[in-house]
Amino acid sequence: MFGKKSTTGVNTKEVKAILNEKKTKMELSLKACAHCTLCAESCFLFMGRNKDPKYMPSYKFLNSVGILYKKKGNVDILDLGEMRDLVWERCVLCTRCYCPVGVDIPEMIALARRVCRSQGVYPQYERE
Amino acid sequence: MDFSNTFFWTFAYDFIRGPMVWIAFIVFFGGTIFQIFSLLSLTKKQTISKLTPGPGRFIPKRADGEDKKDWVMWLKLSIAGVNPFMTIVSTTFHVLLIIMPIFVLGHNILLDNSFGLSIISLPEGVSDFLTIIVILCAAIFLYRRLFVDRVRAITTWSDYLFLFLAAAPFVTGFFAYHQVFENYRLIISLHILSGELMLMAVPFTKFVHMIYLVIFRFTIVSEYSLGRGNRTW
Ligand code: HEM
Ligand code: SF4
Ligand code: SF4
Repeated sequence: MFGKKSTTGVNTKEVKAILNEKKTKMELSLKACAHCTLCAESCFLFMGRNKDPKYMPSYKFLNSVGILYKKKGNVDILDLGEMRDLVWERCVLCTRCYCPVGVDIPEMIALARRVCRSQGVYPQYERE
Repeated sequence: MDFSNTFFWTFAYDFIRGPMVWIAFIVFFGGTIFQIFSLLSLTKKQTISKLTPGPGRFIPKRADGEDKKDWVMWLKLSIAGVNPFMTIVSTTFHVLLIIMPIFVLGHNILLDNSFGLSIISLPEGVSDFLTIIVILCAAIFLYRRLFVDRVRAITTWSDYLFLFLAAAPFVTGFFAYHQVFENYRLIISLHILSGELMLMAVPFTKFVHMIYLVIFRFTIVSEYSLGRGNRTW
């Protein structure tokens, strides 16, 4: 009952299927991230926004894929809406970010984008 | 009540010093091997095509030397250049974290007694000093977690837990060596226990970054790879 109420508007089955494809990589990347913030300076958006932590590569992937993983795909449309701003507005997928541990941050952000897109959540530039 | 007199504590003490050591090493090595295979299964071999100069495929060298790697710029942009302080702290922390346990005299006396295996050890004064350095580095990490905005933004409770777990063997080892507390047995038990827990945690927790880093940075070809990898995601 709870699950249903909190995930209206989202086809969680579809979301789970997408996450499942990348399960091992997602799981290990989230685990291996030392939360050290050393990737921050490698993102030009972080540098260009006065070093706002919300633009750190790790912040972006932990708060998108990290949430999808933690909630096991049971996200609602508001979660996805927040993710949309994170993975489109604050990242251009330029793949320049550098993580000493080797976390493939762009792929993780791309995964979050794919999940959002599958649920019809993406920026509609012509209307905004 | 004397801690060592009760049956439970005697049992726990013996267990931590005996079978638990073996369990810790088995879990550590077994888990590490499992994770290596699990990580490698995410990647596949790829052949690297090389561009060779030839008719119609001539790659000109720039006469002005502009295509030379600019090492100064490279260093400036690297993490060591952008974040020199944290690079030093982190490198010191990790190097000591790994080599200290192997070369501490106390450990080697145990090895010698058990297996007749005798390797070089650090002088006690040196390991004492290095232990303080490790604890200092851990304190710097803790400070960052608590007070630096960008680190706080992505910190979870488990970061504190694992930082604590990584520092615990050093803190308790320091206390035990200096006999800071009266109950030596309790401190040395905590020292052994924390070391065992840390070892067992490596393959399955945040510490997995050790395996992750070695596998991915060296085997996967990318702009940043450290080795001459021939694999791809
Ligand atoms: C080859 C082995 C290892 C490598 C190359 C490595 C590399 C790294 C890197 C690049 C970072 C992020 C930078 C930083 O914040 O310092 C890090 C963080 C960390 N590592 Fe390791 N690591 C290794 C082994 C270990 C082991 C065995 C442990 C503990 C059992 C450990 C504990 C930590 C901790 C606690 C942090 C987070 C520090 C913080 O709170 O910011 N590492 N490691
Ligand atoms: S993604 Fe890499 S560099 Fe960034 S916080 Fe995580 S471990 Fe550190
Ligand atoms: S891929 Fe995204 S997070 Fe990485 S450097 Fe580019 S904009 Fe920043």
